Amino acid sequence: MKNDVKNGKITMTITIALACFILVFVMFMQFKIVNETDITAIETMRETELRTELANWKEKYDETEAKYQETIATIEEYKQTKQSNEATKELMETELEKVNMSLGKTDVEGEGIEVILRETENDEVSQINADDLIVIVNALKLAGAEAISINDERIINMSDIVNINIQNSYKIFIKVNGQRILAPYFIKAIGNQTYLESALLGNGGYVDQLQKQNQDVSIEKLNKVKIKKYNDEIKTKYIE
Amino acid sequence: MVVISILIGCILGAILGMNAPMISYTYSSYLAIAIIAALDSVFGGITSVIKKNFDLKIFITGFFGNAILSILLTILGQKLNVDIYLAAIVVFVGRMFTNLAIIRRYYVDKWTNKTKE
Repeated sequence: MKNDVKNGKITMTITIALACFILVFVMFMQFKIVNETDITAIETMRETELRTELANWKEKYDETEAKYQETIATIEEYKQTKQSNEATKELMETELEKVNMSLGKTDVEGEGIEVILRETENDEVSQINADDLIVIVNALKLAGAEAISINDERIINMSDIVNINIQNSYKIFIKVNGQRILAPYFIKAIGNQTYLESALLGNGGYVDQLQKQNQDVSIEKLNKVKIKKYNDEIKTKYIE
Repeated sequence: MVVISILIGCILGAILGMNAPMISYTYSSYLAIAIIAALDSVFGGITSVIKKNFDLKIFITGFFGNAILSILLTILGQKLNVDIYLAAIVVFVGRMFTNLAIIRRYYVDKWTNKTKE
């Protein structure tokens, strides 16, 4: 009985000692770890850092997403503008065509008249010279001609109609747009036929005058006058 | 004799603990909770000695059982993302305070009795 008690006491002591040993052992281990946390703090800090990093990334992602949506919206907008731009382009092209037409860069046709001046064999009748043509062209322009050409040389804003005198010769040559033209002269004009004709034939009309001077001049009304384009480039050097 | 064994155990544990290999910081929270549980068991044991109903089996099972259970609860808490170890600490520290109060009263009574005589 006494032995039992003694045995029990010994085991109790040993177990208590063991318990104490384990407790203190673990405690000191923990102390050590806690002491070392200054180094391992990096790790824990890393965790928090990672968290903030993650939050940052999430924010960035959201931002990028928003930007992406914005870009898509912009692209959509651009597409719409593109369509409208295409419409504008078409408009511009038609505008350009019109401008070219009025500038004389395209072949045109429409109702109009044709004035034909032929050389006469009669020596008493003076030769047709550039001034005659200029007067006719001016009259046509005044009457609202939209396009004029002399022997298929288109009369544009910079066109010249000049006399060229060849030495030792009575003959006069006419240059239009720098190109020598020869009789007979076909002056084509697009515009209101009646107006154009009356501008030349009416009282004091130049064609009338020429006819009175026995010049061979006739006027034809045509439903379809074809006028060719100005062949040269329209060059500007000093216009800024 | 019990006191000597406790002292020997403490000193041995201290020396070995100081030279023990480092454990990763991640596990230190488990260790801490185990220490709290063990301390609670120790104070419980002392209280039971004072109350004269000390049982070795209960002490040992309480010592290890509480430690292991608290560690498991902490792990579970981490898995669930709930700080269960806080509940364990509250329970253990609360019990430690009641046990300490009992021990204190016992010794205060003993001391007052001594001074009265």
